[in-house]
Amino acid sequence: MRPLLLFIVPVFSGLTASANGFETGPQGARVLGLGGASTAYINSIAGLSTNPGLLGQWGDSLTRISIGHLSQFRRSSFVGQDTYRRTDQELTVQPGGYFYATHGVGKRVAVGLAVTMPYGYHTKWPNTWEGRSVIQESQLSTYFVQPTVGFRLNDNFSAGVGFVYAYGKYSQRRALGQYDDPAAQSKFSSSGQGYGVNVGLYGRTGETLAFGISYRSGLNLKMNNGKLTTAGVPERDDSLYPSTADFKTQINLPSTLSVGVSDRITKNLLLTFDFTLSGWSSLDSLKLDVAASGTAPARSISTARRYEDALAFRVGAEYQATPKLTVLGGLRYADTPVRDEFINPEFVDTNTLGASAGAVYQLGRLALEAGYAFDYGQRRTARANPVIDRVANVSGTYRTGTHMASVGVAVAF
Amino acid sequence: MNTFYFTQLGRTGLVAVATAVLNACAPGQDTPTPTTSVDVTRYVAVGDSYTAGVSAGGLTRASQEYSFPNLLARQFQGASREAVFTQPLLEAGTGSGFIELVDFPATGLPKTRRVAGQAVRRTIINPGTCAGPDTVRVLTRNNPSSTLPQNLGIPGLALSQIETAGLGNEGSAVARAPFNPYFERLLPPATTRTYLQAVTDVAASATFFTYFQGLDDLLPYVQSGGQCGGRYDSTAFRNQALLTMRTNARKVLDRLAAGGRPGIIAKLPALTTLPLLRLGNGTALLERFSAAPGVFITVGNPFRPAQVRPITSRDYVLAPLLSRVGQPTAVVVGGATLMLPYGLDSRNPLRDADVLDESELTFVSFVLNGYNNELETLARDVYKMPVITPDGNQRALNLDVVLFDQVAGLISVGGVVYSPELVRGNFFSLDYYTLTPRGNGLLANAFITAINKAYRANIPAVDVNSLPTVAQ
Repeated sequence: MRPLLLFIVPVFSGLTASANGFETGPQGARVLGLGGASTAYINSIAGLSTNPGLLGQWGDSLTRISIGHLSQFRRSSFVGQDTYRRTDQELTVQPGGYFYATHGVGKRVAVGLAVTMPYGYHTKWPNTWEGRSVIQESQLSTYFVQPTVGFRLNDNFSAGVGFVYAYGKYSQRRALGQYDDPAAQSKFSSSGQGYGVNVGLYGRTGETLAFGISYRSGLNLKMNNGKLTTAGVPERDDSLYPSTADFKTQINLPSTLSVGVSDRITKNLLLTFDFTLSGWSSLDSLKLDVAASGTAPARSISTARRYEDALAFRVGAEYQATPKLTVLGGLRYADTPVRDEFINPEFVDTNTLGASAGAVYQLGRLALEAGYAFDYGQRRTARANPVIDRVANVSGTYRTGTHMASVGVAVAF
Repeated sequence: MNTFYFTQLGRTGLVAVATAVLNACAPGQDTPTPTTSVDVTRYVAVGDSYTAGVSAGGLTRASQEYSFPNLLARQFQGASREAVFTQPLLEAGTGSGFIELVDFPATGLPKTRRVAGQAVRRTIINPGTCAGPDTVRVLTRNNPSSTLPQNLGIPGLALSQIETAGLGNEGSAVARAPFNPYFERLLPPATTRTYLQAVTDVAASATFFTYFQGLDDLLPYVQSGGQCGGRYDSTAFRNQALLTMRTNARKVLDRLAAGGRPGIIAKLPALTTLPLLRLGNGTALLERFSAAPGVFITVGNPFRPAQVRPITSRDYVLAPLLSRVGQPTAVVVGGATLMLPYGLDSRNPLRDADVLDESELTFVSFVLNGYNNELETLARDVYKMPVITPDGNQRALNLDVVLFDQVAGLISVGGVVYSPELVRGNFFSLDYYTLTPRGNGLLANAFITAINKAYRANIPAVDVNSLPTVAQ
């Protein structure tokens, strides 16, 4: 198997980029501690959202439930290219959580439900910062509900398929810096939904080795109920910026293709490896189609994103320290889908190197789980070209760091 | 004891953890340190309306605070603590008087009114000017008038006047005498000191300079539609006017650049980039009045009879007159009085004084281009100024390329769009040619970019969007 792994690395490295974007990280305390390498990992039912193919493995007589809270702190600093001024993002917490349940029905079939919040971000810059007319605050939250059915094909193989219903909320706020009034701003908020599927396969090729492969389709969150409110505009420009207007937008969430391997090195030590290719290239631009309102004609505010498909590589280790205590650790590297030319303060992203740690404490049927991860981001430089007046951006350098923390419980009865 | 020990440790640990987490939350970045390899501690600015800080047709304390030399000096202070810059500040208030916005209708032509200035000491009606009687407003004297300020920008000062004795003497504030009230207020009473002498005095202790002068030589001709400000239609006059500007610019620059003193020499922007002309371009007018049979203008000069012809893309109706185009006015045609739309009927053409026609523009541009070429030559061959453009060719600042032409094509600065449109464009002020505080910020940034390139400095740029949109 090791020679095979060595073969996979160059194959995936040959692709132009790798995965991160606005994923909120592994959806579960235990898999967070493991660094997210859970495509072939069956010790937590949180793997359900990563690979429905695992579900068949929980087809015994037990009902399993896993529930927990997950928080993401993502923060960037900015130094203006010409002004030399540093601005730190305000501290925000992107709340998250998860709920998983599985239950076996019959010998070969199991059903499961996964409720996760896999994509989102909350960017908040100080109201008076240099790029206030580009963005002051932006937030995306998504909720995925995935009913899943898993089949145990034989002793060694299982497959699963899930239907994904996604609901998303998006809001954005920016200053209208062409006016003197510091309160002049536009606020956008909208919500919408989309659908997708998630399929996967899990197999064991020996006593110690297992693999998984899964594919979740991309999703298109269609948001048709957007409300735009504008304040602080002088009377003479009322006709240009009516105080309220409707808008439509859509946000494409990427497909993910994951390949994973787990290897039980010793009785107490398990290693897992994952490659994930996220199809971020479906996110071409953020387009806000504002409807006509009063005398103001319809207009479209478009921000080019031109994301690239992105690859992430994750390694995890699980070590059973005592019969009750399991400790976890992980490392990961993720390429950013954001190209240099499209670095924008609404969502700052970089190639990241991350480390994680976690612990599971078993109390009878109940397992207490905790995980923590930190992603260290590369420095990125944005260059705005003033002559391209359609593009609102600021020139400068960004540094980004992300913390994720999760606590949860898992129970089997 | 034990408890105390743990509490102490716990507290220290908590603080350490919290600090570590918060620091890690906003990853650190070093900000560049502003530096300069040339001495900018005593900067002197020489020029006319732009340098003085005129905005919306007037000079007020606020507009002076946002003059481009003052914005520049503020940025210098970041790189050089000891840097000082003095301006001949007016008392807070309405200053020399200015134009304010009354209404901004959909035509894009602002309705304005003039606000009287509180710094006006007395007024003199000068009947002898070309465009009819003109009001000269004598202003309160700068305090203290014994020391000259470092901002020597004088609104309305022409290069041809730099050696005129008595230009800044109140005794000259009489009809038909050359007099500049803005220069007068800088000097002690009853002096015959010339502007060139003032520059000589201030330059003696200066370490850095900017020179942006000459636009006010040409503007009277442009603003009067070719009626005033000189006989540019005569070849001899044009050549003489250009020679005077070149010679006098050299006299001023000899003082400023003496001994290799570093500085920036700025060339004049093309007249057609100013809203004064740009808004009334023939093509734009023909589009606006496409329903009319045409737009007709009067062209001519004192030697040739006036002639009426349709407007072309190379003629410019003066922006302040644009709102009158198409308004019905009474004209006598064949003994009968008719109400005809002004400019839209060949029997009621636009007056010669309301249009800078193609040949008039050619005449005045000849002088402007010749002057700009001279500045480049002086910078390169005489003062050996450093190169200021990335392509390595220019040693005098070409503001058209780095600013005015860019704004004409719209620019986005930190998400805010700047355009040559009045009011909403936030670049040009209501007098159709000087800049708003934000426009001055962009101008200051053009100088900073040039200084950083030429003198290997790291002077931070002005955050233009944080400046006000109007100076008053």
